[in-house]
Amino acid sequence: MELIKSILASQVGFSVVFAFVLVNIIMLVVTYCIYWERKISAWIQDRHGPNRVGPAGLIQPFADGLKFFLKEDWIPPYSDKALFVMAPVLMFILALIGFAIIPWAGPVRWPWMPEGTSIDTQVASIDIGILYFLAVGGLTVYAIVLGAWASKSKFPFYGGIRGTAQVLSYEIPLGLGLFVIILGNGSLRLEEILGAQARMWQLGDASIWPAWNFFLHPVTFLLVLVTAFAETNRLPFDLAEAEQELVGGYHTEYSALKFGAFYLAEYANMITMSAVLAVLFFGGWHLPGVNGDSASIGWALVRFVIIWAKIILFLFFYMWIRWTLPRFRYDQLMHLAWLTLVPLGLLLLTWTAVLTLIGRQNTWLAPAGEIGIFALLVLVGALRAAPITGRQRDLPAARIVQFD
Amino acid sequence: MAMIIINGRAVECAEGTPVLKVAVDAGFDVPFYCFHPGLKIVASCRLCLMEMRSKDPKTGEMVWSPRLIPSCQTPARDGMEVRFDSPNVRQNQRAVMEDYLLNHPLDCPVCDQAGECWLQDYSMKYGNALSRMTEPKTVNPKKSVGSKTLLYQDRCVLCSRCVRFCREVAGTNELCVIRRSSYAEIDAFPGIPLENKLQGNVVDICPVGALLDKDFLYKQRVWYLKTSKSICPNCSTGCTICIDHNNGRVWRLRPRTNRKVNTWWICDEGRFGWKYVHSNQRLLAPMLKGARVTWDAALAAAQQLLAPAGKAQQGKGVAVVLSPMMACEEAWLLAKVVRAAAPQATLVTGFVPKASADELFPVGLTDQAKAKFIIRAEKCPNRCGVEAVCKALGGPQATFADFLAKAKQGTFALAWIVGGYSQEWVTRDCSDALSKVSQLIVQDIFPSSLSARADLALPSCAWVEREGTFVNHAGIAQPFDRALPPPVGCQQDSQYLYRLAGMEGLYRAEKVREQMLDKVAELRDLWTPPAEARGMH
Amino acid sequence: MADWKDKDVLHVSEPKLTALERTYLPQVVAGLGTTLRHMFQKKFTLQYPEEKRQMRVQNYRGIHRLNRDDQGRVACVACFMCPSICPAQCIYIVAGESPWPDREKYPVKFEIDELRCIFCGMCEEVCPVDAIELTSEYGLLGYTREEMLFDKEKLLKLFDLTKGYKPRKGPKITGYPKPTDQRGTSTHEGL
Repeated sequence: MELIKSILASQVGFSVVFAFVLVNIIMLVVTYCIYWERKISAWIQDRHGPNRVGPAGLIQPFADGLKFFLKEDWIPPYSDKALFVMAPVLMFILALIGFAIIPWAGPVRWPWMPEGTSIDTQVASIDIGILYFLAVGGLTVYAIVLGAWASKSKFPFYGGIRGTAQVLSYEIPLGLGLFVIILGNGSLRLEEILGAQARMWQLGDASIWPAWNFFLHPVTFLLVLVTAFAETNRLPFDLAEAEQELVGGYHTEYSALKFGAFYLAEYANMITMSAVLAVLFFGGWHLPGVNGDSASIGWALVRFVIIWAKIILFLFFYMWIRWTLPRFRYDQLMHLAWLTLVPLGLLLLTWTAVLTLIGRQNTWLAPAGEIGIFALLVLVGALRAAPITGRQRDLPAARIVQFD
Repeated sequence: MAMIIINGRAVECAEGTPVLKVAVDAGFDVPFYCFHPGLKIVASCRLCLMEMRSKDPKTGEMVWSPRLIPSCQTPARDGMEVRFDSPNVRQNQRAVMEDYLLNHPLDCPVCDQAGECWLQDYSMKYGNALSRMTEPKTVNPKKSVGSKTLLYQDRCVLCSRCVRFCREVAGTNELCVIRRSSYAEIDAFPGIPLENKLQGNVVDICPVGALLDKDFLYKQRVWYLKTSKSICPNCSTGCTICIDHNNGRVWRLRPRTNRKVNTWWICDEGRFGWKYVHSNQRLLAPMLKGARVTWDAALAAAQQLLAPAGKAQQGKGVAVVLSPMMACEEAWLLAKVVRAAAPQATLVTGFVPKASADELFPVGLTDQAKAKFIIRAEKCPNRCGVEAVCKALGGPQATFADFLAKAKQGTFALAWIVGGYSQEWVTRDCSDALSKVSQLIVQDIFPSSLSARADLALPSCAWVEREGTFVNHAGIAQPFDRALPPPVGCQQDSQYLYRLAGMEGLYRAEKVREQMLDKVAELRDLWTPPAEARGMH
Repeated sequence: MADWKDKDVLHVSEPKLTALERTYLPQVVAGLGTTLRHMFQKKFTLQYPEEKRQMRVQNYRGIHRLNRDDQGRVACVACFMCPSICPAQCIYIVAGESPWPDREKYPVKFEIDELRCIFCGMCEEVCPVDAIELTSEYGLLGYTREEMLFDKEKLLKLFDLTKGYKPRKGPKITGYPKPTDQRGTSTHEGL
């Protein structure tokens, strides 16, 4: 008992235990993500969704999982077997290590710990927090390419190529957007970025508004949100697995548990991404009235619940978007990245850099400038020729048909 | 020759031919029920009435006759003009059709004639859509007029074809029209049911569904039936017939008009003589010493049996018995196969089943020339053809009796015996004689004591599953088509003989016939009866 | 360009987008609104085994039944109209002489291969005695192919089960319609 207490009281010991707990929580959430994805898609399409396995279909994800176990695990004879097996494993590992840097609930003090000391509810507090997140996010594309390549089949191969180009393209605007936050907060550590937001803006003595980065950098948030969809290969940017064109994309040849690993990793990635978005732009565990001052277990639990609430809202948004928007065409996807998001990101970065140089990065000038930049881009876009979205450029000149 | 004008078109015909027949042969659409080219003319149905212009016997002028005249009863005279399309003729047709349908029960859904019923056809073409009849219809329940035939008087149009057939062709007079006017009906005389040997023809000539065949009753709707042209194998008359079949089964046989051989009729023996085709007793696989073998093994065994026997003394100890049930082409192929291995093999014309005497119709006739139909005593279709093939090939020959006598003395080491009869044919004598033959190849439809002791037993096909040519008693060679595929496991006899003869591909009777033409004079002109105009059958 | 027939092609111009619409954002928001609204709408799906759809009993073409006449005998007269018209050739009838004095012919065997059937309803239309009808039953289930070969007893039983809500169509048509007067009433009236 004492041993357990001492392990929990040390930062390293606690991190190990906490990581174990978190993996389990995340796996549980992932399974229910699948359930909710099916439920939400059903509701949006005026259906009921799964409702037969258990009350309201709540046991459904376990039935799905059992099905993954029982299906034939087929490895194509022409595939590169080592890589073929490695790819889903890599994907799954990468999806599960991303959340190590998330500051989950601020400081906590166990009753047996001396007064005034506390430990952080974070698996790893590292100096390069955001860079770690970017690196892990960038690595997932290796898993996709590996799986695609090892399948030795044409549709997975197309999916792999698409995935590579897409993730590479979108990492640039994502990086630019995150730089804006890094510049504005002067730190790469997520817990510090969160700490800066975990307060209220004051007007005189009255707390009027949480000082979240979202309010400071709304356009940056938009930029990061769009690229986050692309990074996690979610609709409307899931071109790597576009089933209408590529059968199943990079995981066409996968079955049973290997397919399950890809499937679950997608949701784990979403959770990580949602957590990062919540921490970077919405103050993580912060709400007006909740702050990091108290390290008691009760407050820590409250904070843990709050950040999960925010994550779940993001997850819901992910799914909501998926069943609302159709998929982009590939050239539109690339146009969006290189001709819109990259210039936008550069301008935002420049503006924040200028403000940081004069020390005014946390004032009303930041959002005002970002909105100005957005308006500018809209203006530029309005002056340019209208985008040709639906037709090929080399068709004969359109005969205009007027419809009533 | 006479020239008459029908509906404004000049038609040439023999003087004195019924105008109706001239018109129908020339392709005019004239309805009729009672006329039949094989029966006397009664002009009772009144459907074929026409308008006629002919020479007035007093003035010599051409005048239209004031009333309608039955065309079946009017002989064609040179220069006469007739019309079948005038309003008067049309009105007569409509009125007569209405009369025929007054008491008709309109039970086409359950009537076997539906689909080949002249009432249906004429009602569509010449009749009315509505009946004005409001009184209850006369109901006249069906009755059995013979052991094989049913009469539905409700549907009868009283054309009296059946009555005339029994009187004129069969000569047995079983049927008559009883009562008068609207009570008139067909019936058999009391105590004399319709049991003559040609009685099935009354069903064929009945234009409506009044006379129906008990054997075919409710078996098939006629529009499902596919028809193949064939020759009846039951006697040496060689009647031309149609085989009506569907779903791999024969359902009925019908006569095919052939003025040279059987005119419009066939006998009941032939009509119902196909039942053995679907017997479950048939040989269905080649048997080598009593054990089932594949066709490849069976044919190899046949060659192995033939080769050594053929080498000894040029094959003098080999005999091949060609059954008169075989087609000429099959006999030719088999003889060739055996002669190729044993050049001096004896060709034997097989067992000819015989009844006591020819049966002439009308009954009681003795002069063959006056007979309207003859059932021959020789109960096989192709004795003449097989004999002609044997003659053409030359070499040692024997009759079946000679063959048995020689076999008894132990002359033959190997005999290839073909059966193919619908009934048991191996007599005690026969099997005793053949027990002296050391090796036997038997080709037959049904198992027998011969096939049981044969070294190799090959299944044979019934005639509906084969094609070829029969030569009848008068030397008329008539080809017949295949109607059904052989039963599962069997091959057409000619097909495996074809393979044994070393020829490639599928057997077609024509291909073999071409090879035979130089040798067998009988096959040089095949007789296929010309198609007759509708109703003239 | 390509040598297609230009007149065969209907060219449609793209709608012009306003400056704000070119950012896609207003449409995305509108789309999200639409889907959100649908989330709270009434569901279309029926919970099948518990809830069943209200069929239009007279029109719906479901499983066949073989009607009984007023004496409880099979109404079919084995006229072979339905197997003749059937485009899927799924009806097998063996006809025989009926055991009843007032009827000529009846089906000894009557089988419908429900797996081959395409439910076109032509058998119903062609039947001269309204013996074969399509019911509004659509729960066509079975574990084997043999089970889906419905024989006469099963088809008659279907009539017993469904006659409650879909009685056999009017009495058998026995005569021709009476000639009508010249005022244009339908010939089929009063049947």
